[in-house]
Amino acid sequence: MTGALTWALVISALGVVVVRRRSVALALIALQSVWLGLHAISVASGQSTALLVAGAVLLAKAVVLPVGLAWVVLRTREPQWIATERHPLVRLTLALAIALPIAALVPRFGLLQPGAERAAVGLVALGITIAMVRRPAIFQVLGFLVAENGLYLGALSAPGGLPTFVDLGLVFDLVLIVSVAAVFSAKIHEELGTGDTTLLGGLRD
Amino acid sequence: MTEALAIAVPALPVLCGLLIQLAGTPRAADRMNIAGALATAAVALVLAVVVLTRSATPTHGSWYLLDGATGVFLGVVAVIGLLSALASPAHLADHGHGLFRARRSRAWYYLGFYLFWAALLALPLINNLGVAWLLVEATTGTSALLVAYSGRRNALEAGWKYLVLTTFGLTIALVGILVLYVGLAPHGGVLGTLDWQQITRHAHSLHGQAALLAFLLIVGGLAAKIGWAPVHNWLPDAHSEAPPPVSALLSAALLPVVILIAWRVLDTLGPALHHGVAKTVFLAFGLASLAIAVPFLWRPQAWKRLLAYSSLEHMGVLALGIGFATPLATAGVVLHLAGHALAKALGFYTAMPLLHHQPDASEHPPRSVANASTGTAVAIGVTLGSLSGMPPSPLFFSELLILLGGIAAGQLAVTLIAAALLGLGFLGLTHALIEGLVGGEHEAPWGRGRTVRLAERLAVAIGGGLIALSATAYLLPGWSVIRTLMRGVT
Repeated sequence: MTGALTWALVISALGVVVVRRRSVALALIALQSVWLGLHAISVASGQSTALLVAGAVLLAKAVVLPVGLAWVVLRTREPQWIATERHPLVRLTLALAIALPIAALVPRFGLLQPGAERAAVGLVALGITIAMVRRPAIFQVLGFLVAENGLYLGALSAPGGLPTFVDLGLVFDLVLIVSVAAVFSAKIHEELGTGDTTLLGGLRD
Repeated sequence: MTEALAIAVPALPVLCGLLIQLAGTPRAADRMNIAGALATAAVALVLAVVVLTRSATPTHGSWYLLDGATGVFLGVVAVIGLLSALASPAHLADHGHGLFRARRSRAWYYLGFYLFWAALLALPLINNLGVAWLLVEATTGTSALLVAYSGRRNALEAGWKYLVLTTFGLTIALVGILVLYVGLAPHGGVLGTLDWQQITRHAHSLHGQAALLAFLLIVGGLAAKIGWAPVHNWLPDAHSEAPPPVSALLSAALLPVVILIAWRVLDTLGPALHHGVAKTVFLAFGLASLAIAVPFLWRPQAWKRLLAYSSLEHMGVLALGIGFATPLATAGVVLHLAGHALAKALGFYTAMPLLHHQPDASEHPPRSVANASTGTAVAIGVTLGSLSGMPPSPLFFSELLILLGGIAAGQLAVTLIAAALLGLGFLGLTHALIEGLVGGEHEAPWGRGRTVRLAERLAVAIGGGLIALSATAYLLPGWSVIRTLMRGVT
């Protein structure tokens, strides 16, 4: 794993924190998944089962899910910029303030490359932060995909990789969850006329 | 034979869910639902009985584990699933569609319901942490749309919150599983590395810091799905907005089976941690859940929201019992699990006549039910009487066993705080019971419609079940299942 790849993954995740357009964020996630998928294929070269799994993961994460989410984005046009969104610099500061300490504080746990370990933890933290700081429903789904890419990076750096069953199960669950989230996203837009989740505030004690 | 049953238990509901898609009319879908639910529950209960009768000698195969905990949890999920399936047609007759188009809404409901039930039935059987995680995640996917089934704005909010919070919680748990897997990789590096027996066998070889990190991430992540405080925010919303049969399945089946996974992690990975650390984490979640829940039990709450906060309280009690880890407390956990499941499920089914006749009960406490419908009042009485821990409810005995177990474990301070919080919770629920039955303005008598008759019958059946459970309380501490549960996963 090259340092350039890990940096590219982290910078694209930070891009999702700051960009305004959902389509641009989606493209960044697709790009992230392509990089990880190609890396997985290079790691698996020579092992037919591992190659097949890496190919299936690449297809699901870099093609099927982005295309499905792009369809939702096209069907749910925002009438205007979401006013409740914080300024991009504030979001970036918040994301770094949360992700950097977590990446620094989590002790080493035995992945083959320390850089990949930090990047994996950082991506999971950034994914959670994206869900916290971004208002549109689609961005919260993208936060989940960033966190999942972090986990995939960690799995690729684990000695021997993750078992095939778990890899395939993860992809199945990912497709299931993102599909359900896409339905919710569309329904929320239908109900509110916008994907702004801050407007879903009726349930309070 | 047992392996065939173990395969049939999750396979049957999947098949039922798919077959119901072929039903031409809502009536046909309801009939197929009842036949499918009876078949699924019968197979699951047979397996549960077989496992419990052989609980002194747990067995496991390539993917399944059949021990005392499997038998107990499988039995509970089977009964609650059956009751919820039987209650579903009455709910659907009143609330035809919402999130889905009217023509297909019932088919989608049953598909989600049966896939959800299948995952819940499979979870106690699974012998592998990685596969268990996949199934827990699958329960989110299958149940989130059910939570939002009514399509109302509040239901969308509840479903979305449930989906986002539990998914991110489970992502954190998966990081913990990755940490554990990497630590255990020298002993395998294959799927079997995450088998419960393998974790038990090799956990001591983990680096102390890695073991602690893995444990905290896994249990902390699962806590978001269980709804333990302080990561419980989705729970009151999802329970109160889901259709009542789904709320029952969420509260009485989903939360406990995820607790079982956390319990197995405690049994297998806990010994690798510094003495007492793992149990302390459970005790902390238990006390936090009780402390957060009790003030809400004192406030006037909509009926289902009150039940949801009661779930938070009772998941806290289960965490305390597991954390005390003495035979008395473990017996209390088993009794509490079953008693809470029955009483809570009845409470949610009672919401059907209540919301039908008092529509504003979705946002306000019920009132004057005693003079409006004796049957519904009995159901409310059985529910809140049991959940408050009023004798002779089995929850009175289970809480007593857990508290005695806490004293036996030397956790006097935790036990005293828990007893005080349980006492306050009792007062809150008793007040809600009195207000619900006789408080408010005089209510005109309700007709004995379908939902009222259902609540009456379930109150009698579940009330009888609760009394039977209370009668077993004395015998439970000496039961072989409790001894095997104390031995952990072997």
